[in-house]
Amino acid sequence: MTSPRWGATVAGVLLSCVGLASGAFAQPVDAGPSLRAHHVTFAGGVIWTGGYPIGDVTAQLRGNAVGSNPPPFMLFQAESSVDAAAGAEARVGFAMSRSLTLEVGVSYQRPGLTTSLSQDAEIAAVTIDAERLSQYVIDIGAVWQLPRITLGRRVRPFVIAGGGYLRQLYDERTLVETGSVYYAGGGVRYWLRGGDGLRRSVGLRADGRALWRVDGVEFAGQTRIAPVFGLHMFMEF
Amino acid sequence: MRRALPVLLVLAAVLTAPVPLHAYLKFGFRIGSDTVDVKWATTPVRYFVNERDIAGVSAADFRATVARATATWQAVPGASLRFEDLGFTTAAPVGLDGRNTLGFLDRPDLDRVLGATSLLLDASTGTLVEADIFFNTRFQWSVAPQGEAGRVDLESVVLHELGHFVGLGHSAIGETERTATGGRRVLGSGAVMFPIAMTAGSTADRVLQHDDEAAVQDLYAADASGASSGSITGRVTKDGRGVFGAHLVAFNAETGRMVGGFSLTSDGTFVIAGLDPGPHIVRVEPLDDADVESFLSGVVDVDFRAAYAPRMVVAPAGGSSAAIEIQVVPK
Repeated sequence: MTSPRWGATVAGVLLSCVGLASGAFAQPVDAGPSLRAHHVTFAGGVIWTGGYPIGDVTAQLRGNAVGSNPPPFMLFQAESSVDAAAGAEARVGFAMSRSLTLEVGVSYQRPGLTTSLSQDAEIAAVTIDAERLSQYVIDIGAVWQLPRITLGRRVRPFVIAGGGYLRQLYDERTLVETGSVYYAGGGVRYWLRGGDGLRRSVGLRADGRALWRVDGVEFAGQTRIAPVFGLHMFMEF
Repeated sequence: MRRALPVLLVLAAVLTAPVPLHAYLKFGFRIGSDTVDVKWATTPVRYFVNERDIAGVSAADFRATVARATATWQAVPGASLRFEDLGFTTAAPVGLDGRNTLGFLDRPDLDRVLGATSLLLDASTGTLVEADIFFNTRFQWSVAPQGEAGRVDLESVVLHELGHFVGLGHSAIGETERTATGGRRVLGSGAVMFPIAMTAGSTADRVLQHDDEAAVQDLYAADASGASSGSITGRVTKDGRGVFGAHLVAFNAETGRMVGGFSLTSDGTFVIAGLDPGPHIVRVEPLDDADVESFLSGVVDVDFRAAYAPRMVVAPAGGSSAAIEIQVVPK
């Protein structure tokens, strides 16, 4: 179940980014390195996603008492989380202008699933071994390079926002959970070469994103947020 | 059989045995080297209701109560079980007379037995031929909608005995404590088919629990493919050897549904079926919350500490998990 509050927040962030991106078309072409308009960029690298809880659930029995709603008898409590994990990501972008790039990204990670069990009258609190998930995300996003802001001759900051499809498989690949992701964040591009509008750009890109997950492996029906950091090498064609 | 407090086992267990490799317990019958489920070959299952009135419960009340309980079993999604009420009879709810009868019976000698079900099987097929249920007039019964303090809720006990009537054994999803009189008191129960009744006046057992539903879905599956549910398989071991009679509970971390099962072979093998697809926490404990004989015959190992499976186990849709091993240690 999607949290309406988070859903509204995500929608607000995306709309803001679209608004900013639309505004970018009105900006004059600024100085500093940038991608060439109407060229394709490929970026590949590593990402790291922070861990996040996926729900606390209580195993309970019906209590034994007269009345319509006797208090339950707790058997145990389980707190589960998806662990932080590193992975690989590839992104292909098309520069609509020198400032705005539309991208398609694909990422793969293998986060662990950990469950802590407690409140059991017969068993001491314990954390059971992680189940591994194979996690794939396919997303579409927009990258807007901030006009007139340079951080040195080779560095330009950008903001990024988008959304996509989440697919998570349990370890034995016998069960699939799907969901959606939304993200917003920012980062910098560092040009090793090009960026002058004449030559092919090659460089490094680092970004940080807040990632909202809806559904997927989720025990409490809530939208979850986790940080994502990426480091990529990009090349313009 | 449902007992207010456990005493000696009276159920016709000599005719039945637990079926290996299934969740919860179903009655089974050995034919040659095979063990088959004890169940009705066709439905609706037709029954009569004894016309006797007792204090606080008229024959009409009793018939209406049985109708509600049969409707509850019939309403389980994914199960094809059906009943048909053929009306009143003067026949007692015991003996072989070719009709299935439910009714009250004077059994003052069974001072802790609320009710019991007797089953007649076809020895060549294991299918049920006749079943009777009696409810003991030694107890004060109630059919009040909200229950009555100090009186046993009739609908709850009818629902339990109807489980036996269609071939289900006892579930062990429950926790009890010893009482000063040597009996047991239920602290919590996760199944109508738990062998010990709730406190007199409680109406909690009018509602089937997930374990009860999984059992009847398995025995009378409307979807023969089983594609909508999954199972978990594995072994319970102690010092490298299998544990017979360990009780397991699979708890779906997403839906909260709990389904029980047992290790029913000497090498400790178990299968918990009828599970919602998804990740499960599997907990194993000794069968010590009721008389062992109310669940299983044979030498049941209860000398080990409760434990969890070493990892969360995924029940795939329409299939079974890879086998897991749960190692337990002696008490």
